[in-house]
Amino acid sequence: MTNVLLIIFTISLLYLGIAHRLLTYIKILVFQGLLLFGIAFIELIKIDALNLAFVLLETIVFKAFFIPLFLNYVMKKNRITRDAEPFLPNFVSLILITIIIIATFILSNAIADSRISKIYFVVAISTLFTGLYIIVTRHKIITHVMGYLVIENGVFILSIAVGNEMPMLVNLGILLDIFASVFLLGIFVNKIGDVLKDVDVEQLKNLKD
Amino acid sequence: MISFLLIIVASLFFTGVIIRTKSFTSGRKGPGIFQPMKDVIRLFKKGAVYSKTTSFIFQIAPSIYFASIIMAILVIPFGQYKGIISFEGDFVFFAYILGTGKFFSIISALDTGSSFEGMGASREALFSMFAEPAFFILMGSFALLTGHTSFQEIFASLHFGSSISYVLGVLATTVLVMITLIENSRMPFDDPNTHLELTMVHEVMILDNSGFDLGMILYATNLKFAMYGALIANLFMGSAPLYFTIPIFLALQFIFAITIGFLESFTARFRMNHNAQYILALSSVSLLIFLGVLLVLGQFN
Repeated sequence: MTNVLLIIFTISLLYLGIAHRLLTYIKILVFQGLLLFGIAFIELIKIDALNLAFVLLETIVFKAFFIPLFLNYVMKKNRITRDAEPFLPNFVSLILITIIIIATFILSNAIADSRISKIYFVVAISTLFTGLYIIVTRHKIITHVMGYLVIENGVFILSIAVGNEMPMLVNLGILLDIFASVFLLGIFVNKIGDVLKDVDVEQLKNLKD
Repeated sequence: MISFLLIIVASLFFTGVIIRTKSFTSGRKGPGIFQPMKDVIRLFKKGAVYSKTTSFIFQIAPSIYFASIIMAILVIPFGQYKGIISFEGDFVFFAYILGTGKFFSIISALDTGSSFEGMGASREALFSMFAEPAFFILMGSFALLTGHTSFQEIFASLHFGSSISYVLGVLATTVLVMITLIENSRMPFDDPNTHLELTMVHEVMILDNSGFDLGMILYATNLKFAMYGALIANLFMGSAPLYFTIPIFLALQFIFAITIGFLESFTARFRMNHNAQYILALSSVSLLIFLGVLLVLGQFN
């Protein structure tokens, strides 16, 4: 059953590659949060109740509800335009994300270590790289934060894979969420709109010796 | 044999059901479900008018297009019953015989010398080109999963066991439905009711065809729908007895037609320049199916 959820998770990455609007990005993040809730629930059911409740609460409340809501709020408050504005066309993004998935698949086959659970490994690493790719190829600060959230979902999946042996790692993964929230708060407090304000960048250009 | 007859039967009502669904969702009563067939019969009674600028290609192309689809239907099996033609690797034959038909419809559109038709032909060629890897990766994964290479053997030995194979089934159905919509130039990719030549894809290619030729092209669309519907139905039939599979087949064709009707009623058409990436996404999804098959086979654990 977790395999099913993980495959759907990978498809959501492909969708992330061809999404045009920021609202779609937020919806995908909500969807990924729900999928992670399902995966964590099935996989970590054996760890002690308090820890499990914490992990599940974190996935459903933070990942699927609070952070997307806050992203939406920040977008409206700072009047960020609705388009994602990638540097590369989405067509190229789609091809590259597909290549990322295949490459991680081949990589995990090459590693051939019986101790790692491979499907988790593939999904986690490809999510990580997709997040990085989104950070690199999108204009806006808010899409950078979204890319970071995707990376952090990848880390969460990787930590779930070993969650039964080391519940501590899952908690460490969750700490990243709080880190991302601090990012978001930074954008919110400093009222950063589409990019760092043009004025600031212009001033940097004037620097000469 | 049985699949051929059933596909012909399904083709009689398929577009009618789509049009009826669209009428219902927009609050109209709509024409009867055999109205498209009546239109085709009316066209079959007419003669064709050919422009003086066209050559013999324009005259033979509709017949070749129609024949290619009939030939493609011949290889479609029905559960464990073979199609009329069946051999190892017939899904490659299936894809390329459809490709031949498409090639002739494209060069006949170019033959008319109309700039609009050339544009439509170029788009249709591009979209089919992007849809092709999706189909091949999908059928290739099924061939790998079952260890057979003909349609009939693949579908007869395809059975769903673990939860992951159900996901593969659902994904495969989705990919096939989308391929159907692309190949028939339907709603999310192309609007069959559009009135502007600049935005047409398939409709602009047949602007110069008339009478008998147009009737053949229109009926070929119905056949194509029923053919892909039969492919999808095959995924779910397995090796059940006939009195069980024939109702399943017809019911699935109905559901498929109604689904397309709903899709056309409630989705907006994609922007033309974004179509390519949506179609390529299908190939990526088929690749995921392929990786999933590797997972099921334990090549990858």
